[in-house]
Amino acid sequence: MPPKGKAAQKPKGSEASASSASAPTQQQQQQQQQQQQQKQTSSSSTSSPATTTVLERSHQRYDESRGPYEAAAAAVRSQKAGGGLGLSALSREEQIGWISSLLARSASARARANLGSKAQRELWRHVNEASLPVRCIKKTTSPEQQWGTDHAGQDVGRYSVGRFADRSEKRITLTTLEVASRRFLEARDQADKKLRDPLTGEEAVLTDREFQEEKDRRREMASLRKELYGGVSEGQLQFALDPEWDDVEPILQDEPENALAAISYPAEYDEAISYLRAVMLKKEYSPRCLRLTERIIEMNPAHYTVWLYRASNVFALGLSILDEIEWLNGVALKNLKNYQIWHHRHLLVDNYYPTIASSPVLVVKFTDSEREFLTEILAEDTKNYHVWSYRSYLVDKLGSWDSPDELASIERMINDDVRNNSAWSHRFFLVFSNPAHSSCAEKKLGATDFDPKVPATIVDREVQYAMDKVYEAPQNQSPWNYLRGVLAKGGRKLGSIEKFVGEFVSALGEEEKEDVKSTHALDLLAEIWAEKGEREKADLGLRRLAEKWDRIRVGYWEWRRSCLNEGVAAVVAAS
Amino acid sequence: MAEAFKKLPEKLQLATSAHVKYIQSLDTRKDEYDYWLTEHLRLNGLYWGLTALHLLGHPDALPRAETIDFVLSCQHENGGFGAAPGHDAHMLSTVSAVQILATIDAFDDLEKRGRGKAQVGKYIANLQNRQTGTFAGDEWGEEDTRFLYGAFNALSLLGLLYLVDVDKAVDHIVACANFDGGYGVSPGAESHAGQIFTCVAALTIAGRRGLVDADRLGRWLSERQIAGGGLNGRPEKKEDVCYSWWVLSSLEMIGKTHWIDRDQLIGFILRCQDTERGGISDRPGDMVDVWHTLFGITGLSLLEYPGLQPVDEVYCMPKSTIERVLGR
Repeated sequence: MPPKGKAAQKPKGSEASASSASAPTQQQQQQQQQQQQQKQTSSSSTSSPATTTVLERSHQRYDESRGPYEAAAAAVRSQKAGGGLGLSALSREEQIGWISSLLARSASARARANLGSKAQRELWRHVNEASLPVRCIKKTTSPEQQWGTDHAGQDVGRYSVGRFADRSEKRITLTTLEVASRRFLEARDQADKKLRDPLTGEEAVLTDREFQEEKDRRREMASLRKELYGGVSEGQLQFALDPEWDDVEPILQDEPENALAAISYPAEYDEAISYLRAVMLKKEYSPRCLRLTERIIEMNPAHYTVWLYRASNVFALGLSILDEIEWLNGVALKNLKNYQIWHHRHLLVDNYYPTIASSPVLVVKFTDSEREFLTEILAEDTKNYHVWSYRSYLVDKLGSWDSPDELASIERMINDDVRNNSAWSHRFFLVFSNPAHSSCAEKKLGATDFDPKVPATIVDREVQYAMDKVYEAPQNQSPWNYLRGVLAKGGRKLGSIEKFVGEFVSALGEEEKEDVKSTHALDLLAEIWAEKGEREKADLGLRRLAEKWDRIRVGYWEWRRSCLNEGVAAVVAAS
Repeated sequence: MAEAFKKLPEKLQLATSAHVKYIQSLDTRKDEYDYWLTEHLRLNGLYWGLTALHLLGHPDALPRAETIDFVLSCQHENGGFGAAPGHDAHMLSTVSAVQILATIDAFDDLEKRGRGKAQVGKYIANLQNRQTGTFAGDEWGEEDTRFLYGAFNALSLLGLLYLVDVDKAVDHIVACANFDGGYGVSPGAESHAGQIFTCVAALTIAGRRGLVDADRLGRWLSERQIAGGGLNGRPEKKEDVCYSWWVLSSLEMIGKTHWIDRDQLIGFILRCQDTERGGISDRPGDMVDVWHTLFGITGLSLLEYPGLQPVDEVYCMPKSTIERVLGR
């Protein structure tokens, strides 16, 4: 028999108490459960729908589905929470009832109990008499968290049942609007593509009325979303509703005319930018501003001003530059084509370096960590111009000209891809702009002038290096350009490598047997021959390039031939 | 050559009206997220679109009065222009603003309703670092040869080039020259077609083009053309329509345009069009955008494709505008 006393103690008028006057038959209970499962009904079952919260209703349903004895036991347990009496405080009748409930609904419990046939018969007789439920609602581990929060951050579980019903209706309305909006997008897409209706054969067309309806619809959707969820998705700052930002008045942009009204995504972005304008105007530098910049960068890393403002924040707050660089690394890896990131890094290093300049140990440490990251990001995008120009800035700033690690790192990149012109260019910079053995610091020499300060051993080494790499891919431009540059810096004639260059061209001018493994080689040979005064040979080489081996540049080769014929010296002024 | 193109199938001709419609539609896509993400380029985008329309022979396709209003609404007290209303002033948007106003002959409006040419000139001149000669983009200090070129471009159009130290700036450009004949973003940086354009154009405006090693640079530039006819920006990189401008205008400035195969390049640019919806993309088959649309058209104009207005290779604006403004 369901206990009247204990059940009646259940707070806020549970359904069990209302109908506990007589033992509910199985049928009645099922009916009640069905009613409970349906959307809000104002039947006699609940005493005051307006005051019961959804969460409590969940609890009630849970308890009820477990049968009257469970509710009693729970009540007792909670009353005796500290005392330890618990179930033993129930009457014998209640105890049997509770055990029977448990066994009735759990097959595994029955198996564990290992009841004899007599006990089983007694169990089922009792179950039938008392109409104990044989199925129940599963217990959720954290029923408090399942409802979510509304726009004000309130737990929806605390809504009254009536208010919750309103909310559910709004959600359904929103869904129907979203469906209609999606339909609009499809219609617009069809109109763009000028598709034909398969039934009528008419071209799809988007009317002004449909467009206006969509505008209105989106306004409604945005306001519904704002009401229901606050207009932003989980886990993100909600500035207008975040008490931390209450003192800031966002500077809003004028709404442009004819714009389709706030779609929630751009609205979130727009809000963040409005707050950015406000704090930038009053030049606020604080942790919340830092978080704001991070948020905006997440949404639009190309937004140029926000980076500069972030830098100001970092400096004004005296934050650890190394931490900031650590964060920046993550952003850089996700936004390979963004150059603001690298300018930001530039600013950070400019700020950080003076603090470690006097400590060689720290400088080395920083150089190594930077190189490590540069290697990592260049592995993703081997020719990224911003990264490479940052790298050359860094070499100069940290003075790693002579670092064997830097040179080795570049060599590895060229080994990986001999066609990486950026790596070649960086090597040239590393070797020939090194203030220790070049005149670059004095800035008096041109890029292709002979530099007497460069030791002959280095020139030899670089010539050999480039030649070795040419063999890997004779048509690859980079080492050929490099060779010319090195010879110029070293003040050497092009002819000094004639034998090597000749390896890539054979049987020039002979119909069948002519073979040119590298047009750059032939180009260089023509120059060398012209240098030596062997004009006819040079002309032949250029003619073959124009006719066959590099026809696309025929304009250039013909010009070179005309220079020869006018007796003009070779293109590269040999020193 | 010109007649031959008229005989090509429609797909391989310039889809002028489609491109005009595309550019006109750009500002109406305010419901797209991209529109808001690229707000910091808005004024630049206007310059790109407007110039393309002028070259296509449709100078009135964008409403003149509204354009002037919009441009002036981006101006700040210090004379500089932001990328969009409410955005901070920056060199690049200021240059775009000056270029737009020059193209639609609206310097008078700048005097009467805006802050006036002198103020704009002052803003730009203040961005020069007088020690190094380089230019920053704004008061935050990022330096780049693009800003140097932009400054020369805008100041010369305003007739105010004397406000800056031209010689120092020229020295800096020379310092950016590389062993392969090209120019990088800073001394020692890799030669890059975009940087080459800014450096050579700046030298031209300063009247110092003789400092360029034309033969060596021309050779490097001619090597940018690859098998399909398109141009890349650096050795062993993919072709991209925008290099039809950076490389080609550089070649034009040093008088070596004939060092590449022009027909093949024209073919490449035409293949990068979206002839139905308008616009040009970086490579055949990719998404179009207004940046590549402009540079595809300027490339075709330099190659004397029929039906296009001539473009000035130094200013990247209609030649007729430059003649009017600079009295050439």
